[in-house]
Order: sequence, then C-alpha cells, then structure tokens
Amino acid sequence: MKLHIDPRTKLFMIFAVSIIVMIPAVSPATWALRTGVTLIPLVLLLFEKKYIPALAFTVLYAVAAVLTLLFISSESTGVLYALLVGYCGIIVQFMPSVITAWYAIKTTKIDEFMAAMQKMHMPDGISVSLAVVMRFFPTIKEEYGSISDAMKMRGILFGGGKVGKMLEYRIIPLLFSCVNIGEELSAAAVTRGLGAPVKRSSICELKIGAADITLFAVLTVSTAALIILKTGIVG
Amino acid sequence: MNDKKLGVRDFITVGIFTAILMVIEFAFGMLGYIHPYVVAGYVVILPLASCIPMMLFYTKTEKFGMLTIMSVLIAILMFVMGMGWLGAPLIIVSGLVADLIAKKGGYRSFKCTVISNGFFSLWICANYFPVIVTADSYRQGLLEAGYTEEYCNNLFGAINIYTIGILVVVCFACGCLGAVIGKAVVKKHFEKAGIV
Repeated sequence: MKLHIDPRTKLFMIFAVSIIVMIPAVSPATWALRTGVTLIPLVLLLFEKKYIPALAFTVLYAVAAVLTLLFISSESTGVLYALLVGYCGIIVQFMPSVITAWYAIKTTKIDEFMAAMQKMHMPDGISVSLAVVMRFFPTIKEEYGSISDAMKMRGILFGGGKVGKMLEYRIIPLLFSCVNIGEELSAAAVTRGLGAPVKRSSICELKIGAADITLFAVLTVSTAALIILKTGIVG
Repeated sequence: MNDKKLGVRDFITVGIFTAILMVIEFAFGMLGYIHPYVVAGYVVILPLASCIPMMLFYTKTEKFGMLTIMSVLIAILMFVMGMGWLGAPLIIVSGLVADLIAKKGGYRSFKCTVISNGFFSLWICANYFPVIVTADSYRQGLLEAGYTEEYCNNLFGAINIYTIGILVVVCFACGCLGAVIGKAVVKKHFEKAGIV
C-alpha cells in the first residue's frame, strides 16, 4: 500500500517532533507519549518499504532507551559514563527528529516541495535555498567519499598528523566540487525558468487527504498533551 | 538583469554554502557530548573550522540579503535539530548585522568582511541563550534526560551569565581571526585556480 502524505504535513511533523524531543520526559506518561510520537515516522517508513533504515533506527533507539533507564542516573560519574551519556544523549535527543527529517527528505520530490512552499506563500529566497540545502546533503556525502578514496589511494590518511592540513586537504577539494555543482545547478534552474518574474504553475497537485488530517490531529494533541503535562497544569 | 535584486543563482549559492556549513558544524558539534567544556569551546572551534567556506561565500556575496537568508536557514536547521527556538531570533539578528556591515564595505572591503564574519560567528553564541536564560529548568531537563550531575555542573560552570560576555568576545575574535585565515586560504587555492 502506498500512503501519500502532503509535504506540508511532513513539515508540520518535523516541527512537532522537534518540539516534543526537546521536552525532557520524566513521568511514565510523558515517556509513553514521546515513544508514541517516535513511532509515527517509523510506521511511515514501513509504508514506504524502507525496512532496513526503520529496523536500524529501532534497534539504536531501543538500546539507548534501555541503557538510559537501567544504568544512567544523575549520580553516575566517570569516563565510561560520560561516553554512555554521550551516546544515549545523541540517540534519544536527535534521532527522532533526524529520522523524521530523513523520511521527509527521502519521500518528498523537489517539485512537490516547491509547490507546497508556494502554497504557503514562502518567499522565493527561503524556499529555493531550503530546497537546495535539502538536496545537497547527499551530494556532499558523495563528494566527500570520493575525496577520501582519492586520498587513500595516494596514501594520505590524516594529513600527516596536522589538524590544519587535515581540514585543508578535505575542505578545499570539497569546496571546489561544490562550487562547480552549484554553477551547474543554477544554469539548470535558470533554463527551467526558475528566475522568471511570473507566477509558476506546478505539475503536481497537492491535496490534503484523510491521512494528513489524522497525522495533524495526532501530532497536535500529543504536543499539547506533553506541554500540559510538563508545565504541570493537570498534574 | 537587475543588479540589486537577488536572483535564483544567489539563492542556490546560499543553499549550497549553508549545507556545507551545517555539515561542518554538525561534525564538530558532536564533540560536545564528550565534555561540557567542549561546548563552551565551540566559540573557538567552529568559527575557525568554518572559516574557509565562509570566506569563499563572502567572495560570492555581492548583494544585500544573502547573509540574512543564510542565518534564517541556520535558524530553521538548528530548530529542527532540537536546539530550541529561543536562540533562533538571535541567530537571525547576528546574520542581519553581519549583512549590514558587509554592505557598508560594498561586499569588497576586507576590513568590513572581517568584522562582518566576526558578527556572523555570534550565531554560535545564540545557541547558548537557552542555557543562560532558562538555566534552572534547562538544568533540570538535562538531569531528567539522563545527563550526569557532573556534566551539568561543568556545563553551567562554563556557560553562565558571567562567562557569556567573555564567550561572545572570544567568539567575535575567532570569527575575525578565521576571516583572515580563510581569506589567505581562499587566495592560495581559489584565486589561483580562477574559481573566484
């Protein structure tokens, strides 16, 4: 089954999840809420048939959650604990929003994203730049991989042990290729009339469906519930 | 083409450099989990690490607004990564100030670029803002999230209302220093290759 979700809903999802993970979970109720929200992108990933990332994320998150519950308290000290805290902190705090963002980026086509941005009346500057940022992370990873390979082939591992050289050897070639890709990208965009002073039409029709409304409702309610629980209005 | 207005080309440049900057910040930002003093050390590490892309970006900046858009994007990305919304307006303010200063130098004056980069680096300090303003609840939040007492003591020893002044000054200085270093590197590699 293919579930189609509007880009605007995905944006809202990123927004809601980053608010929720920022609020520390203490009581069982907040823990449950937070875990529940974390499950949403997971389920969506399964719908998209991305089983391996979903599984990897579940394992990482489960291990971190169990470790946090069993071993870490505010009294523990020492190097091992510091590393443990680091690992769990990164996973528990960042992974939910990272996986949500990853899901949104993976499943949104760029024209859908632009159409959604246009419907929300975002200025061109923000929407175009944001689209480029979203698309550029994989490119950077790819280019960086190629640079590392090239360096390995020539037997340069860590820039001869100098931190400055290490940065220089990696960043300069990366910048070279990124600037070139940028030029090509602009040329392609201008050819397709991105800079034209008219209102662009879009080939993709955006519709808010039942799934969107459900997601919206669930996220809004859980965010509100978490904030109420946290501020202690109810208890 | 109108020279004063920002075009698609500029937006794409902004997007690319923001992406590069974010990758660098993220790679170094992870170090903060090792020890809280590293979190305070961001003011030195990050401006220096990101100086080369920043200076290359400055050579591509000719119009007002590019730096501001970049800071807006950084603010959005920082929010998504769970840094909170308190710092976001400050990030945008630092970008705007940097933009105004660079504009004063016509985006060509070296002196203005150095000072502008110093101000732009202050967005790093903006991320400390929640730590200081909401110190008590932030501390409790960290403890509840499973951080150790030791980590918190060190963190709030390093970043508090008294040290923030020093941190801001150091950050500004490192931003300026980074600009000088970055300029030299850009000159060495990119101007020779004819990319700039």
